[in-house]
Amino acid sequence: MSYKRNIFFNYLYILPVVILVAFLYLYPILYTIYISFTNFNLYHFFEYQWVGLANYITVLTGGTFWQVLVNTAIWTVGSLAPMIAVGFLLALILNQKDLRGRSAFFTLLLVPWAFPAFISLIVWQGMWNWKYGIVNKVLAIFGIKPVDWFDVVPMAWTMLILTNLWLSFPYYTSVFLSALQSIPEELYSIAEIDGASRLARFRYITLPLMRKTIAFVAIGGFTFTWNNFYPIYILTGGGPGNATNILVVYAYQAAFNNSLYNFAAVYSVIDAAILIAMAIIMLKYSGVLEAIT
Amino acid sequence: MKAWDVLRLGISYVILAVAAAIAVFPIYYIVITSLSDIPTIASISIGSLIPQPRGLTLDAYKGILFGNPFLLWLRNSLILAGATVAITILLAFLSGVALSRLNVPGKRALMITVYVLTFFPMTVTVLPLYLMFATLHLINTYYGLILAYSSGTSIYGAYLVKLFVDSIPKEYEEAAMIDGLSRLGAFVRILLPLSKPVLAFLGLIAFMGAYTDYAMANVFITSSDLWTLTLGMWYLSFVNRSTLYNVFAAFAVLMGIPIMAVFLAFQRYLTRMYTMSGVKG
Repeated sequence: MSYKRNIFFNYLYILPVVILVAFLYLYPILYTIYISFTNFNLYHFFEYQWVGLANYITVLTGGTFWQVLVNTAIWTVGSLAPMIAVGFLLALILNQKDLRGRSAFFTLLLVPWAFPAFISLIVWQGMWNWKYGIVNKVLAIFGIKPVDWFDVVPMAWTMLILTNLWLSFPYYTSVFLSALQSIPEELYSIAEIDGASRLARFRYITLPLMRKTIAFVAIGGFTFTWNNFYPIYILTGGGPGNATNILVVYAYQAAFNNSLYNFAAVYSVIDAAILIAMAIIMLKYSGVLEAIT
Repeated sequence: MKAWDVLRLGISYVILAVAAAIAVFPIYYIVITSLSDIPTIASISIGSLIPQPRGLTLDAYKGILFGNPFLLWLRNSLILAGATVAITILLAFLSGVALSRLNVPGKRALMITVYVLTFFPMTVTVLPLYLMFATLHLINTYYGLILAYSSGTSIYGAYLVKLFVDSIPKEYEEAAMIDGLSRLGAFVRILLPLSKPVLAFLGLIAFMGAYTDYAMANVFITSSDLWTLTLGMWYLSFVNRSTLYNVFAAFAVLMGIPIMAVFLAFQRYLTRMYTMSGVKG
């Protein structure tokens, strides 16, 4: 009796969060799934009907969805690879014991992370301007002709990925640096005594010990970048056309610019389904799941 | 070997110097612009980025503080962010401690649910919340936005507090309870002070979430009396074409530099918390 009463009181503590999850997460998610099966939009605002899979068929047989899906993959992988590479390289550089001014450099490198991204993105939007932007003015010093960063698709991708790299590399540098610093110094001294070259020490000590951190960061970075709304929304708005649009931005615009709630819902549901499937696969093979529950 | 070390360090310094310059450049660019007479983005040149003591002026700051409703937007942003921080810390602490310490059947299932929920794109919830809040008359109120902001952070926060409290030995509260404290008393008197580091971090995440949100505010707020800093900045940069560029720059400095200063001041602690929690700010 008292055990059951105890469990009841125990639930009271987590009740607020359960209510929040239920009303502000679970219910909205179910509602979105429901809307994706109706014709609820600007044209059927007050009276809408269940239309079954019609929206899904329209979306999956049209060209836009596949383009946006491919874009989302380009955006995620294209951003993540340079972020991890640059972050790792800078962490290795900062981890050299005989380097002076390490903490000063580290602080300067943290600046893009410390400054609110929403503001920096608006600033970058102006800096990339074709005619007046400072980027093209700096490039002019090196004799490079002005680049149209917004209307030429490959240039737009370059701009988006470089801006995202600027925004995110400090996080990766910081995580990798703290992982590098946790590797015991003795391992390296013993290997050195045994005659292992610098490259061999990196290959057989650093890399294996960093594998878990890299997996952890790559999975977190993948899910974050996949649904990273602001860089694309602010810099290109998905343009030109939908050439750089990604699922989450497209869904937001469909809902709030065009009032096509049903299609926005379809895009959101598909977006989440793909991401969850990929996250499960990645978590399963990396062994990170044990660390998070 | 010696020559190799010199080369290695030399290359390292060059790479670090270039990376640091690129990292800092946009912030420097916006600070120097805010202090110069730069009416449009076209007036910025390599030359204008080099400070000339005689050309420096605070006009742009007067423009943003007194010529625009900056203070109103700041007030709205701080109200939203403050309430979000308070609700987040309260709920996340209570539920996080409960998840860590109490025997609640279905705990693991709840943790996995919470983790999976973080994969859903923001649009999945913004759209139905918008329709829900419209029926509840929560559009154009502080309450609607505060609810929307604190739901995400409290859920995530509960998860974070649980991980943190797991690392505190149970004996601390057990000893206090033998001395006559109730369980809630033990949580508040013993665990709350010990959880300060994680709660401070959570407060910062909650603050930043509300302070830099545009996507939700753009949907839930239409009345200009309730505009936040982000809505105001969007309006001045992309809608109102008559905004002077140095005034925008002053806005960016006033809104961004305090955040940056706090982040850099507590960098050691913050980078450790971010690394531990696995989120990217």
